[in-house]
Amino acid sequence: MSSQKNTTTGRALSMASMGAGIAGSYVGYLLQRAFLGETKSKIKLKSTHTLAARRMANEMQALRGPAMKLGQMLSLQTGVLPDEILAELATLQMEAPGMHASLVRVQVKQSLGGEPEEIFKQFTPEPFAAASLGQVHHAVTREGQPVAVKIQYPGIRRAIENDFTLFRTFSKPAQASGHIPKSAIDEIEEQIIAETDYLREAENIDFLADRLAPLSFVKVPRVLREYSSDKVLTMSLMTGRHLEDFLAQRPSQKLRNQLGTHLFELFYFQVLKIEALHADPHWGNYLFSDNAGVSLMDFGCVKYLSRESVAYLRNAFLYPGAIDSADFRRILETYYDQVGEKLLPAARRALVRFAENFYRKVYPPEPEKRQLFDFGDAAFLHDYLRESKNLLRTKGVLTEFIFMGRAEMGLYQTLHRLKARVPTSEIVRKYL
Amino acid sequence: MTAKKKATSKQKLSRGATVKRPLGRRAQNKAAIRKRIVTAALSLFQTKGFDATTTKAIARKAGIAEGTVFNYFRTKEDIALHFFEQEVDQAIASVRENPRLRKAPLEEKLFALVHSQLEFLAPYEKFIGAAFIHALKPASPLGIFSHRAQELRHRYVGFVQELMEGSLPVRKQNPLAFLAPDVFWIYYLGALLYWLHDSSPGKQNTLAFLDRSLSIGVSVLKQGKR
Repeated sequence: MSSQKNTTTGRALSMASMGAGIAGSYVGYLLQRAFLGETKSKIKLKSTHTLAARRMANEMQALRGPAMKLGQMLSLQTGVLPDEILAELATLQMEAPGMHASLVRVQVKQSLGGEPEEIFKQFTPEPFAAASLGQVHHAVTREGQPVAVKIQYPGIRRAIENDFTLFRTFSKPAQASGHIPKSAIDEIEEQIIAETDYLREAENIDFLADRLAPLSFVKVPRVLREYSSDKVLTMSLMTGRHLEDFLAQRPSQKLRNQLGTHLFELFYFQVLKIEALHADPHWGNYLFSDNAGVSLMDFGCVKYLSRESVAYLRNAFLYPGAIDSADFRRILETYYDQVGEKLLPAARRALVRFAENFYRKVYPPEPEKRQLFDFGDAAFLHDYLRESKNLLRTKGVLTEFIFMGRAEMGLYQTLHRLKARVPTSEIVRKYL
Repeated sequence: MTAKKKATSKQKLSRGATVKRPLGRRAQNKAAIRKRIVTAALSLFQTKGFDATTTKAIARKAGIAEGTVFNYFRTKEDIALHFFEQEVDQAIASVRENPRLRKAPLEEKLFALVHSQLEFLAPYEKFIGAAFIHALKPASPLGIFSHRAQELRHRYVGFVQELMEGSLPVRKQNPLAFLAPDVFWIYYLGALLYWLHDSSPGKQNTLAFLDRSLSIGVSVLKQGKR
């Protein structure tokens, strides 16, 4: 079933069956309701709800394309998905179908002009990881350097473009109502299409490797250009453990705090100092070491922020005054003016609420000494999702922050899983 | 490019099955001339078109007398058929002889087979398009109804059947699996048509098409008993 999902019709069918699947279980619920009393039906609703949600999440995972990124946005608004799954959607990967060895050979030959064994001293035909839009193989260069070779699935760009054509068609009503602004679809399409160009990704890597140098705990791979093309990307091999494995080792609270602090610092350093960020929070893109080091991987999705946006964030983060003051309102309005968007009163209220109910709690502007925010308590995650939904409902989300928002959600989800305690305010202050 | 290399290294294999004894000088000479004729003909088919190419022009291009051409091939259609036989034989040989494919899943073997055919045809894409249309004319010796073309198809279908039987135990197959090898021939023609129309760089869309359709096809084939 999942194998047919890469053709337009296949995707259309899959989207349709996704609709049918959810409807199916809701019809089941409606039928059941006829036989059940009102109170019982309420409980039933909850379980059908999650079943449908699970199915939707599964479908989205199988649909390797932008569906899940768009799906995440949609589900935030419709409230179809429970918070737990919503948060996890942020960390889903743009998976491609697996390639067998023969297809891998064809891709390498087309890109690098020779069989994998001719190009590399050693090449492992079985992939060791799935990557965005492709898979990753171990290899050793002729100079003897162990590397990771990321190989793209053929024709993926067209498949994605088809998805968008399809999505643009069936989201017409939502576009007309402004719930999914056209500019948002454009932004998502542009970023995702950019991910299909590995040469661009190589530039992202070089850029971040250079700019992230001041953070000694972060490692970024080195691109081997002579072994790379737009569909094959060869990088130095990174070491460390994925989140799951890292947690399985039962790391101490101290280590988890350190790591959480590093991740938090990495995020704000990128936003405020580099004005660009690694915006693909999929867990497979991070490796953690026992001394709380962070290795980054997969740089397909790097969001470069505009000067004005960063200036706005600087003013808004840790805003010392009252959130409902005229001054804070001016900060919001000035920025929306600059980017040529209208700040509707409802959206403004949603932003103020967001700042009050989430950001002030997570990093208070005037913290007590040695303030630590405990990400282990899930309440903050629910606050974040509630306020995000609210903001989306008021159509107050700017396209500029779609990817940053996703990265932020991924960060919080990871910090929550680490149950880390982080000196949040101190870190943000450091880079303001 | 490497397909050509492969093809020459595998020419000692006739019809993908038995290994011939090393050729004598006379036979070697004959094989060389035959190859010269085919190469000349193909380059003319590709540039001038199949219909506009005469045996005279082929002889001139190959640097031999027109009469010599007739010692090897009766008509230019014969030359074209010879080329398609080579295409099929080298593809069969490349799958059969590749040790890496021995333990590969069926969809990968079939992918390798079709891909090897397309790689062989790639330098003559324009001619293939014309030949495709030609082949649909019932009276054409190139046509799918001609005796030689039938024989070629049997060889191909036989090999596909061999691959399928080697990979799928009969009792695990779909009840209609016996039709699969013949259906695969039609599938191949479809893939060829897709390939001819594929304008994506490096024919990447064809690769995706082959990969996706073969994995669906093989999963359908297996769906009999599950």
